[in-house]
Amino acid sequence: MAQQNTFGYTAADREQAFLTLYKQAFPAVAKYVSKLGGSFDDAKDIFQDALVIYYERSAVNALELKLDEKAYIFGIAKNLWAKKFRENVFLESVENCEMNFAHEEDTQPSAGKLMHYLETAGQKCMEMLKAFYYDNLPVKTVAELFGFSGERSATVQKYKCMEKVRETIKQRSLTYEDFLE
Amino acid sequence: MRTSLNEIKLIDGRIFNTNPPEEALLFDAMLLINPELGQGLKWQQKAHSIIKQYSRRRLKAEIEAVHQQLFQKPEHSTFRRRILSLFQKK
Repeated sequence: MAQQNTFGYTAADREQAFLTLYKQAFPAVAKYVSKLGGSFDDAKDIFQDALVIYYERSAVNALELKLDEKAYIFGIAKNLWAKKFRENVFLESVENCEMNFAHEEDTQPSAGKLMHYLETAGQKCMEMLKAFYYDNLPVKTVAELFGFSGERSATVQKYKCMEKVRETIKQRSLTYEDFLE
Repeated sequence: MRTSLNEIKLIDGRIFNTNPPEEALLFDAMLLINPELGQGLKWQQKAHSIIKQYSRRRLKAEIEAVHQQLFQKPEHSTFRRRILSLFQKK
């Protein structure tokens, strides 16, 4: 279940991986977007969203995606472009649900306040929960990255953090009545 | 682990469908008789949604930092010129 090191485990590893992917895959995406009349910023937005989708897919199943990273990212970007401009292009290979991710954030004003609170007061917990649930890193790696004595301590802390975040959301939702309802 | 943390673990198992079959059945039965557990499930699902939003924001910030490197640092000037030339009006 845990990530197979496609992007490494640390921010520095990810930086290197994204640099490589940018150099390998961005030129083709930029050329494609330019050919269809898009701007540099269009190409940048589409490509960055494609990288996020690629990252999330590889966190779930790294092996499937090691075949041809450049072609895979180009395929996602093409589909994103088609969706963005509602062209009559058949969406293939990447599920529609993944295409909607870029706009599902910040739909509630109060969710923004809550996020700001969690980014400041609860950042350590949020970083750890990100490592577990989003980056899908092995428990052993999370324990090392966050300075825990062992896997058990890291696991207990994961659930303590979840408890804290859950309680914060609950409390804040009572304060911000329109939150997520 | 204390009881409340075990409950969070069980709810995670329900959300990600990783509880063993017997535990999954027991959990569903408990949901019927314990409304607080249902509330816990609801808030934990929202917590996961928030964690995903937070994580995407962080990841997008990392990707943007890489973009800035490539389009500002002198050592990547060849790459930068190659890309920008695609968008020059002819």
